[in-house]
Amino acid sequence: MAQSPSLMSGVPELLVLRLTSAREMYGYEIARAIRERTHDAISLGEGVLYPALHVLEERGFLRTRRRTVSGRTRVYYQITPAGQRRLDALGEEWRRIAGGVQSVLAST
Amino acid sequence: MSTARFAALAERLLRDGIPPRRVRRLIAELEVHFDDLVAELRSTGLSASESEREAAIRLGPEDALAASILARPELHSWARRWPGVAFGVLPLLSLPAQFVLSMFVAAQVFSLATHHLGFTALRPGPVPWICAGLQIYALWIAPILAAGVASYFAARQRAPLLWPIAAGTVIALVGALTNAGLDWSPTVPHGVLSGGIGFPPRGLSQWLRIALTLLVGLSPLLLLLRSKGRDMTREDLHQSA
Repeated sequence: MAQSPSLMSGVPELLVLRLTSAREMYGYEIARAIRERTHDAISLGEGVLYPALHVLEERGFLRTRRRTVSGRTRVYYQITPAGQRRLDALGEEWRRIAGGVQSVLAST
Repeated sequence: MSTARFAALAERLLRDGIPPRRVRRLIAELEVHFDDLVAELRSTGLSASESEREAAIRLGPEDALAASILARPELHSWARRWPGVAFGVLPLLSLPAQFVLSMFVAAQVFSLATHHLGFTALRPGPVPWICAGLQIYALWIAPILAAGVASYFAARQRAPLLWPIAAGTVIALVGALTNAGLDWSPTVPHGVLSGGIGFPPRGLSQWLRIALTLLVGLSPLLLLLRSKGRDMTREDLHQSA
């Protein structure tokens, strides 16, 4: 099903920060985790994830580490303390909005 | 998988102002991601070609990838946001800066040699050679370096050619009008280090300096244009085949 871009705004950032707060992950792992944990409810063009990751790194919310496994170099992303604060703020905002929307949907 | 899959995307990103280092990393990450997707899909029983086709769909079309990257101002290079500054003003400013720096170093060398090492005009040691080297640097190498570095980075970042060519030309002209020298003889026992800029060009060496600066300094751009011409020929052949 097509997803509304306005509803999706900010969602990849929130998901990436949440996932990388648990452990460091590389891009494919993040995309796969999003697919699996949302049961395909959120399907990004997986390549679109990378500019989001790079911007989060630029803003100091993620740090990176390169690791070479079986001859392939992967870039691992992990949340920073600033990213953790951003995640807390975004998570709070998301819960507030979702709760509000849910209560409207439930009442009509 | 080969880099060729993302070569067009890489070129497009470079042309639209994403720095080469970031392009390299993005492409490398996309390649690894593509390979991982292919491996995942093959493990479900799909053939190699089906897996590659499905992986390309999952990764997203090139236009969407390019748009998602180009839409992020943080990912653009500052040099492409202000090409006039990066490829015009800064190289021009670097010319007087290099000139002054080399004269300063020459003065320090001269001062050290005379005050601390005891060299004199009659027993100058390597001082004249060092000063001559710095003079050659200031007059010949500095303009080439200023124009060359600007043109190299402009070529690397696929920047508009106007700025590096204009800056290279001005640098070549200004560079040819500068002069520097060391006068240190028994009649001038304390030595005189001089530098300046003036009109008109005084002979063949000025024209040689202009020609060398333009030729060597702008060679990265010429090489890029040549390689682009080659790529275009290849594309034409593929299209006509």
